Amino acid sequence: MKSLVIKDLHVSVEGKEILKGLNLTVNENEVHALMGPNGNGKSTLLAAIMGDPKYEVTGGSIEYDGKNLLEMPVNERSVAGVFLAMQYPQEIPGVTNSDFLRAAINVRRETPISLFSFIKSMEKTINDLQMKEDLAHRFLNEGFSGGEKKRNEIVQMEMLRPSLSMLDEIDSGLDVDALHVVADELNNLRKETGMSVIAVSHYERFYELIQPEFTHVLIDGRIVVSGGPEIAAKIDQEGYDWIYKEYNVQPASKAEEKRPSLSIGACAVRESVKGQTRQ
Amino acid sequence: MIPIHVNQDFLPDEGYTAYEIDSERNLDLSFRFEKDCDVFIRLVRAKNVRIRMFVNEGVRVGILLWNNSEEKTVMDETYEVMKDADLVVAYGECNNAETKRNTYVALRGNHAHALVSSASLVSVRKDYHIDVVNFAPHTYGDMKNYAVVLKDGTLMIDAVGKIVKGAKRSESHQTSRALCFEDGQKSTILPELLIDENDVQASHAMSIGRMDEDQLYYMMSRGLTLAQCTSLIATGYLMPITDTLPNEELKASLKQEMERKIEELCSM
Repeated sequence: MKSLVIKDLHVSVEGKEILKGLNLTVNENEVHALMGPNGNGKSTLLAAIMGDPKYEVTGGSIEYDGKNLLEMPVNERSVAGVFLAMQYPQEIPGVTNSDFLRAAINVRRETPISLFSFIKSMEKTINDLQMKEDLAHRFLNEGFSGGEKKRNEIVQMEMLRPSLSMLDEIDSGLDVDALHVVADELNNLRKETGMSVIAVSHYERFYELIQPEFTHVLIDGRIVVSGGPEIAAKIDQEGYDWIYKEYNVQPASKAEEKRPSLSIGACAVRESVKGQTRQ
Repeated sequence: MIPIHVNQDFLPDEGYTAYEIDSERNLDLSFRFEKDCDVFIRLVRAKNVRIRMFVNEGVRVGILLWNNSEEKTVMDETYEVMKDADLVVAYGECNNAETKRNTYVALRGNHAHALVSSASLVSVRKDYHIDVVNFAPHTYGDMKNYAVVLKDGTLMIDAVGKIVKGAKRSESHQTSRALCFEDGQKSTILPELLIDENDVQASHAMSIGRMDEDQLYYMMSRGLTLAQCTSLIATGYLMPITDTLPNEELKASLKQEMERKIEELCSM
């Protein structure tokens, strides 16, 4: 069974620690929802699993299928079955979707895929995701609308058939119809392959469509609460305040706001002198 | 395919002709174009090559010069373009050997047109000096130089568009683009416009950029190796140069040769 096991993960970006000791296990065929206020480490976690060089792992371990992911370069993690549908997919001018995907499929195979089977499967995928027929010949994400870029991530997922898919706010930028198309594809692929999923979203609506069995809430670099779908429903109705109170935590953004701030008109010297006399 | 081993003068037939230069000596060649021609010149081996080309009045010529030499080559080329003639010359420089090239294009007669383009995959030193000179009124000169600079590559392009006094209503344009993949590479592009006439149109555009790390990460996150990413991006960057060629056969030759060579060089 292919499992993702993360232990005591610490990750920094530009010297600032974002993840501060995170533990998470995702088994085959499971769907996990990852929630939490903005700027608390959800995207950082997914990027660290994928291996984005901007994110520095300073401690802990990430294993997938018994392999140490942290020792593998990005492309090998992909071949091992890890896929990240990115929040902001890059535009690559000059490289067509079909050339790109064919190369990506071929690195997973001993003999290159025949042009005929590639075209057939690409056409089917484009059709499934209700994208324009010329997608294969367009440059990778260049000039795509926000929704098209997100759907193109799912096109790639369906073609590459990963065993662990991570979706970073795949629902942002999608209209209601497109959201259903994407969720249907995800559910079909899960049925077919037993792929596990880690989905980051702020919205209950998306979770209703993909039915995660587990929900985790990530606050200030740690998973504070884990449970079932009822947590997502409660957050949708009440926000995060009850978690801050019940578990006595502060979100990363709030913690930063506690720094002494000076408003315009305040005298910096006087404020600092006052501080000193109090001590 | 016509082999070239010694100094020769050619008068190509109408239509498509392919030549292959393979010589241990220095060469002095001349081509006189009296009919509409498309010419593929493949350079396999030569030390110093001097080529003189004459494009007669009203003749349309397309030339693809593909450099496949494994040793350093010094090229010295002059093109004389007569009244109403139309010349397109494209260089494919994707070989792993040094090139020093001097190109001089003279637009001699009214309404003469010339487009000089190059697609370079630079892994050693490539040094080009290109002059396109408008000598007559209503002439049109254009240069398009695209280069991808790999590790240990050094690119130097000195592109000069010149319009002499009296060459009224002439145009001189040029575009140069270079994409670098690693730190410490040196790319120099000097676009120059020397204009001695008032009633003209002239322009130049230039960009030197570095490969974007986020783009590389995105492509690699789908399983591609760094070499595969480099190869795909380099192909995409240089391929528009094939569109400068008017003839489908030449276009296909450049595309095919480039794809093969880029894959080979990028996986090194």
